[in-house]
Amino acid sequence: MAYNKPIPTPSSLTQPFFDGAKEGKLMLPRCQDCNRVHWYPRHICPFCHSDSIGWIEGSGEGRVHTFAVQYRAFGGWGQEAPFVTAYIDLNEGDRMLTVLRGVDANDPGSIRIGSRVRVEFEQASEDISIAFWRVVEE
Amino acid sequence: MGVSSGVSKAAAIVGAAESNEIGYPEAPRTSLELHMEAIKNVSNQTGIPISAIDGVFSAGMSSEIAEHLGLHPKYIDTTSVGGCSFEIHVHHALLAIYAGVIDVALVTHGENGWSARRIGRGGGGGYGGGGASSPSAQMSMPYGLSGAPSNYSHAMVRHNHVYGSTPEDFAHVAVVTREWATLNPRAVMHSKETHEFGGPITVDDVNNARMISWPLTMLHCCLVTDHGGAVLIARPEIARSIKTNPVWIAGAGENMSHSNMLEMGDFTATSAFASSQAAYEMAGLGPRDMELALLYDSFTITPALTAEMVGLAPRGKGHLLWKEGHAAPGGRLPMNTNGGGLSFNHSGMYGMQLLVEAYRQLSRTAEDGVNGIRGKQTSARTCVVNGTGGSLSTTGTLVLVSDD
Repeated sequence: MAYNKPIPTPSSLTQPFFDGAKEGKLMLPRCQDCNRVHWYPRHICPFCHSDSIGWIEGSGEGRVHTFAVQYRAFGGWGQEAPFVTAYIDLNEGDRMLTVLRGVDANDPGSIRIGSRVRVEFEQASEDISIAFWRVVEE
Repeated sequence: MGVSSGVSKAAAIVGAAESNEIGYPEAPRTSLELHMEAIKNVSNQTGIPISAIDGVFSAGMSSEIAEHLGLHPKYIDTTSVGGCSFEIHVHHALLAIYAGVIDVALVTHGENGWSARRIGRGGGGGYGGGGASSPSAQMSMPYGLSGAPSNYSHAMVRHNHVYGSTPEDFAHVAVVTREWATLNPRAVMHSKETHEFGGPITVDDVNNARMISWPLTMLHCCLVTDHGGAVLIARPEIARSIKTNPVWIAGAGENMSHSNMLEMGDFTATSAFASSQAAYEMAGLGPRDMELALLYDSFTITPALTAEMVGLAPRGKGHLLWKEGHAAPGGRLPMNTNGGGLSFNHSGMYGMQLLVEAYRQLSRTAEDGVNGIRGKQTSARTCVVNGTGGSLSTTGTLVLVSDD
């Protein structure tokens, strides 16, 4: 079935992330002066304000920082409700938003903050793959 | 070094009024007409002619409004950072008056959150987010979030995790706020006469309401209504010479922690800590001096978290102010006495409703309301007002004191 949810349009700033996603790699922006990873991609490092930003391939691992279960959504997501959204603390630092996989939206009490998660990618169009995170065993 | 303490009480709110109709009007209203009705009403209330206004402050519409009024203001501020924009406008107006740039500031709001479903916004509305091409939007839009409730729920879950609170604890915020609404005939949820689901509610009602974004049920969420409101702010010589009671701006502060929730470092804290510190410092007052608190309640988590930030409760325990009845009618610290965004009125940006209620309470006109409709008068002489905009993003705090 064709992907029926919103698909972002990359800009020059974010293109390296989407190039990586297409290859199944989690590319993360990292400041070449202070070496800190930030998310989302910036023109200027939000920590030290350097404009020298490079990209690294991340580990694709992290932990659930917080989550919620969405009952009200639109378009393709409306058909999947309820589903779990989560903010992920990346092993490399900073935080990503995702729809969490490998959890039961109808039993939020079983979902644990701090759970280990791993990234996976779903091909949404010829050029764009979307990063999702899945809870994995400890 | 902070702003000179001479700025404290350099200006007063001298009037506050609403549009003729608020809530769910039968005939659809535009944002512009809600603005204009409120401006006309506040001019009549104070006796200050519209032509005397030399500073115009609104969330995104100031040039359109000034032109509509035939004004050529010396200070134009169109700061639009969500629901706290209006508290921030008061801060800016205080500074502009203190600096001697203007004498009379108009802070105005018109928003047809309800009517827009039928006729569109009709001017203004919305606040900056960078649009679909911004990198933060690209990294958020794929994931099915749909508006404010879907974001704020993440903060409640984190609060529950860190402090051991429960969604039921926060249900008390909705129950107590509804109790205040039953005392305000202008509140959408005042009674069965004003709304089929109006009148008192219980914790069970909140728990069992339709789930919107777990753990937030519909009764954890604010209304979506129409509202217009306007306040006039003037220098002391003018405030002393007109017929209405002044309410002094003793302290004001603003701050922000993030725009996109991706950048919210601590999901159990907001910039209201910083904005309230600035406001208290300017005022020379602290949380213990506050006899009334009006804290933006877009969702039950919002005022509870804010109470912690502005020093009214210890970290992790904000919700107890409601659960233990302190915030309720007759309690030691009345809060959201108009019935709040949860049960009175919430048009999308609720900061103006906070200002109108603060003025009424501290000017002793809460029973008069506007157009002779009564509100609920407390005996408070001091009030902390905190607006929260965006996704727990931006805050403006005011410390207001009555004239007596």
